[in-house]
Amino acid sequence: MIVLHAIWDNSTLDKPGLYIWAENSTFTQKSDRLTSTRRKSSKTKAASPSLHPFTAPADFLKLTLTEVIPAKFLDEAIPHTFTLRLPSDSGGPLPSPELIMEQEKVRTGMVELAGWEILGLAFTPEQGLDLLLKLPAQTANNVTFGSSIRFWAEAAKFFLELLVRQSFEPAILKTQNNGKTAYRAGWKIELYKEADQSRLETLQKAMPPVCRAFIPNPSSSKSAGTGQTAHPVTHPITPSELLNDFLNQTLEATLQRNFQAATGKVVPLVKNGPQRVTGDLPAQWVKGLYSYGETVLIAPPAEMKTFLGQVEGWLGQLKPVDSTTPFRTCFKLEPIPQDSSEKEEFVTGGRLNWVGPSAPPPWLLTFYLQANSDRSLLIEADQVWRERSGTLTFLKRQFENPQERLLADLGKASRMYPTLEKSLKSARPVGLTLSTEEAYTFLRQSAPLLEQSGFGVILPPWWTKPSQKLGLKLRLKSKGEGKVSSGLLSKEKLVEYDWQIALGDQPLTMTEFEKLAQLKVPLVQLRGQWVELRPEQIEAAIAFFDKQQAKGHMSLEDALKLGLSQDGLNNVDGLSVNGVETDGWIGELLEKLSYSSKIADIPQPAGLRANLRPYQLKGLSWLSFLKQYELGACLADDMGLGKTIQLISLLLYERESGLENNDSGKGEKTGKVKVGPTLLVCPMSVVGNWSKELARFAPSLRLMVHHGNQRVSGSEFEEQVAKADIVLTTYALLTRDEKELSGIEWERIALDEAQNIKNQAAKQTQAVRRLQARYRVALTGTPVENRLSELWSIMHFLNPGYLGTATEFRTRYSTPIEKYHDKERSEQLKKLIQPFVLRRLKTDKSIIQDLPDKMEMKVWCNLTREQASLYEAVVKDMLAQIEEAEESGIQRRGLILATLLKLKQVCNHPAHFMGDKSELADRSGKLARLEEMLEEALEEGDKALIFSQFSEIGTMLKPYLQQKLGREVLFLHGGTSRKLRDEMVQRFQDTRPGSPPIFLLSLKAGGVGINLTAASHVFHFDRWWNPAVENQATDRAFRIGQQKNVQVHKFVCIGTVEERIDTMIEQKKSLAESIVGQSENWVTEMSNKELRQLFALDRTAVGD
Amino acid sequence: MPRKSWGGWDDGPYYEPSVPREVKNGLKVKSERGVIGETWWSKRWLGTLESFGMGTRLTRGRSYARKGQVISLDVEPGTVKAKVQGSQPRPYKVEIGLPPLTDRQWEEVTEAMAGQALFAAKLLAGEMPQNIEEAFQAAHVSLFPKSSDELETDCSCPDWANPCKHIAAVYYLMADRFDEDPFLIFKLRGRTKESIIAALREKRLTFQEEVQDVTPDLATTLAAAYPLAEEVKPLEECLDNFWQAGEDLADFRVNLAPLEVQNAVLKRLGDAPFKAGKQNLTELLTPAYIMARKVAEQKKDLL
Repeated sequence: MIVLHAIWDNSTLDKPGLYIWAENSTFTQKSDRLTSTRRKSSKTKAASPSLHPFTAPADFLKLTLTEVIPAKFLDEAIPHTFTLRLPSDSGGPLPSPELIMEQEKVRTGMVELAGWEILGLAFTPEQGLDLLLKLPAQTANNVTFGSSIRFWAEAAKFFLELLVRQSFEPAILKTQNNGKTAYRAGWKIELYKEADQSRLETLQKAMPPVCRAFIPNPSSSKSAGTGQTAHPVTHPITPSELLNDFLNQTLEATLQRNFQAATGKVVPLVKNGPQRVTGDLPAQWVKGLYSYGETVLIAPPAEMKTFLGQVEGWLGQLKPVDSTTPFRTCFKLEPIPQDSSEKEEFVTGGRLNWVGPSAPPPWLLTFYLQANSDRSLLIEADQVWRERSGTLTFLKRQFENPQERLLADLGKASRMYPTLEKSLKSARPVGLTLSTEEAYTFLRQSAPLLEQSGFGVILPPWWTKPSQKLGLKLRLKSKGEGKVSSGLLSKEKLVEYDWQIALGDQPLTMTEFEKLAQLKVPLVQLRGQWVELRPEQIEAAIAFFDKQQAKGHMSLEDALKLGLSQDGLNNVDGLSVNGVETDGWIGELLEKLSYSSKIADIPQPAGLRANLRPYQLKGLSWLSFLKQYELGACLADDMGLGKTIQLISLLLYERESGLENNDSGKGEKTGKVKVGPTLLVCPMSVVGNWSKELARFAPSLRLMVHHGNQRVSGSEFEEQVAKADIVLTTYALLTRDEKELSGIEWERIALDEAQNIKNQAAKQTQAVRRLQARYRVALTGTPVENRLSELWSIMHFLNPGYLGTATEFRTRYSTPIEKYHDKERSEQLKKLIQPFVLRRLKTDKSIIQDLPDKMEMKVWCNLTREQASLYEAVVKDMLAQIEEAEESGIQRRGLILATLLKLKQVCNHPAHFMGDKSELADRSGKLARLEEMLEEALEEGDKALIFSQFSEIGTMLKPYLQQKLGREVLFLHGGTSRKLRDEMVQRFQDTRPGSPPIFLLSLKAGGVGINLTAASHVFHFDRWWNPAVENQATDRAFRIGQQKNVQVHKFVCIGTVEERIDTMIEQKKSLAESIVGQSENWVTEMSNKELRQLFALDRTAVGD
Repeated sequence: MPRKSWGGWDDGPYYEPSVPREVKNGLKVKSERGVIGETWWSKRWLGTLESFGMGTRLTRGRSYARKGQVISLDVEPGTVKAKVQGSQPRPYKVEIGLPPLTDRQWEEVTEAMAGQALFAAKLLAGEMPQNIEEAFQAAHVSLFPKSSDELETDCSCPDWANPCKHIAAVYYLMADRFDEDPFLIFKLRGRTKESIIAALREKRLTFQEEVQDVTPDLATTLAAAYPLAEEVKPLEECLDNFWQAGEDLADFRVNLAPLEVQNAVLKRLGDAPFKAGKQNLTELLTPAYIMARKVAEQKKDLL
């Protein structure tokens, strides 16, 4: 595994730039120096730093990077060696938390900083910028981003934002020319706006300390030759210096490079020292600003001094007057309250109320001093003028001359906003009145400028609301569209609509709109409310009604899309939808979709052999509600909350009650209603589990398993399907048996572990979309809302077209949400999908009280074909031998116990049985299921224990799971030293992000004495036939003080000895403990016939 | 040496028979040709002088001012002292006197200035208020000389014309100085900008009618208003979270929508008090801002 890191080199010794380097877990640098140069000696002597033992070499690093970003971004990267100070112990540098080492290491000695030589790739600032911007949000399986590269990627996006907003200024910067101080032309980021400042601070605070680990290369330092000073000097640099340097250097490089490109001049690749240009100082400066590399300004000192002063004065106008004082000047714009009697009249008259140019100035712009610590604290200018003493004193701190501060600010502001001057004609100005036009100019032009210069600006709240603009209002009508007798409403059903033009949420008649358009004023007051009226919006509105009928019919799906998204955020032809009005069933539907709590509970189906927990009943009611409208539903409850039983209940429920009864709430059984078959697609690893659960909870449902060698095809398939309530098949068969599956008109297609179709281009995803079904259900335990492409793929299966095409979805949602962390988009998307995704967490308060503290579940696994043939061979071999063996002899006993052991190994994994260290993937039903479940648990942020009685299983699984899951897996076995054990336990119990989430334990070593309450899942990969031993192990996680629910998953292979023994134990649990005792000797007491039954493989339980 | 006829400096009753001696590091006006005086303020100064009917005698100093014949220039209350290199080896001494306003006059001027917040606001923001002369008019005085009689000039050159080209050169150089620092005129008339600001402060303080104390509540809040300095832990103390980014990183939000106000920085800057050649700085810099936006739009596609 590879962990990528980034370092910004701001040292003046080297050319500034971005270095990418990586830690590599799979091989370590062979470094003799590592052993020869002890950290202590490097501290006292001038030893050059040792090569970092797991830094990836440049060529390998480049190769790895191509897995993450296109190769063209790496073309000009140069291999570069540099030094970092990293936390190290006497054994070498400690790995970053993202790096999962193959072997656990015990810390030796004190952890201290030590210099290490790092191999990396160097990028110029502009190459670095492109690289950082291009980095994907998520990495490929084997490559992980360290915190430093994630940090610089965010910094790069912030830089891009500043560039988009043109937040930079020309500058004259100090530099060295022939050893003397000189001045050069340059560019600087401009960040005086308060919000920008605070975001810069946020970034600074988020900078991981490793970013500051760089020390300038001693070899490039001038004193390198002496040997005395070459030892790494500390490089005290603050996050703010580093971040500012990154922003400024990247800015200069980006601007100047592009100016050069635009003028067509050849860009020198290397800066060849400072250059000179001709002309007077301002001309030199401007030329320098537009050229690549350093341009030094040349003039006699006196002239230079004057010019510097002038430039400083000019640029100084961008700065807030003084940002260290507790106050700043603030401008507040508000409409002058209207005469109330007049307002009344307009409201009752129901007419437009606008203020034309002839009316008196209706706007007031007032001045305040605003406290920097508490923005709500405003001191009116009037109060400032009345302040007698020249100093505000509070708690021994002083604010000198508040009046002067206010005056200076007003003077400065008047440059940007000359209208202000008219108010400054009086001695003690407190504000000014503005006409509507002036107010509009202030809102759109001047307020942003003032804000950028650090002034406070308070604008009317409606100004920033997107819904307070000219837009549309939609009325959805269900008049005359009463319930269809079947109770089903097809989603193709059309809904009557009526578009209205609206200002804010106030609908306008066409006449009113035309009048408004003719007014040609940007701000109008409508029934007492001010709204903005932009010419481009007026045009968009005219175009909209030219193109489209104001009234008509739209599909239910379109209606839902418009009705469910947030007011003012949905756009139709460039006009915002400011509101949706509904009535009748469509209104009811929208309400229930938005608030699932409004869906009435339905009774638990009589045929269900279990009691639904309250939240499961809610889930059933929700599924059933969406079904009525044939809307696709995604049940995404946490693992262990019972998604299976909720779906089974739905199948039972729809067969037990006609929908007409459902609505009247009688819930009477009307016998079995004829409902078509449901196609349930699941991963191979859970086929057995589904069969088991269906048989256990709903024996009345007719199950057809379409899976394995014996599956039917052609007309036989059709016949069997016709007789079934549920047809169980696997994802793999979607493409293979597409002919059969697509020949049926399914009542419903349900996907279990729906993340299997997350790749929308995959064949099985395409195939499942082609199947005909009335509607669709998806079950998944992974939080889909966090993985947007997966979410889209699943939603596209459930409700095709609802979220638009994949490309539309990416532009509108994925990119803004994943790359810019756009909260509004994220909220908007949530609103759109929330009606179709039900996700309950096991940590929800309402759920916790429904759950027992400890939930035990069997996880039924299938054998793979390979496992099955091995299994049968072992059984056959035993049966042949046992006939020969003496009754009750030692030989017989030994044979039986050996067989039992072998069969358990086969059930675990073929490689376990053969002990040949062969590949692990896709060969064991148990392992496949374990992987899936661990993935879900990790997604939910849970930790897990995995017990096996075989330590070989741990040895096998640790590297495999680490590689598959990309997280560290701890492994405790009999040979683990006490010290390492304690350290592992401590690390596992650590709740900070990045701590190891999975702990493999051999039952013997980990069964007692340790406390692992951080786990909320316990897996028993294989069984110890004594429940007491298993329980003891389980109790590592479930102890007094445990706050979480603990889920215990016991793996059992169907159709094997594992299942049979499990049944025996379940049947006589109390007996088992006495009979079975601590050993498996009781098996040896069985007759040959009994053994045959116990060991024989049930072929139907074998997977593909 | 043939007579040169440039600069129109040969139409006076006296002319120097030879070109002036070259001066190293002399004071030059910035404009190499055309009009001297960039700001409305220095134009006002030259305009005043021209209104005194100096005409061509004044323009004779222009080439001296451009060539850097003025060796030094000091503005003190009431007088301007300068040394100008002519054709003689020894530079000529030039002195221009303009009587400072009396304390009483200044008192009246500041009184008038206190009546409009604009004066103090602009002065504090480092600008010369456009209507500054109104304040002087209100006090029945003039900031600039009202007639040439007010200007007492003296030059050690043999030229009896007033102004001689040495004095004229100093006039031009003064215009140049006023471009850089408009408040020099205050100094010449006996007050610095700072002393005017201080006087205005005094005026405001005696202007108050009633005491308005800051409430204790306010005081408490304001005490907390002082931002704490950035505290950076040395790397040695960061071993526990060495590789950890702050929590806020995951939520750090960027907004890549362009601002509605374009080239806002330039709009906030306004015109520079100097030009590059003849061109306005904001005009020259506008392409940079437009280009930046274009580049940014291209880079957005990388995301």
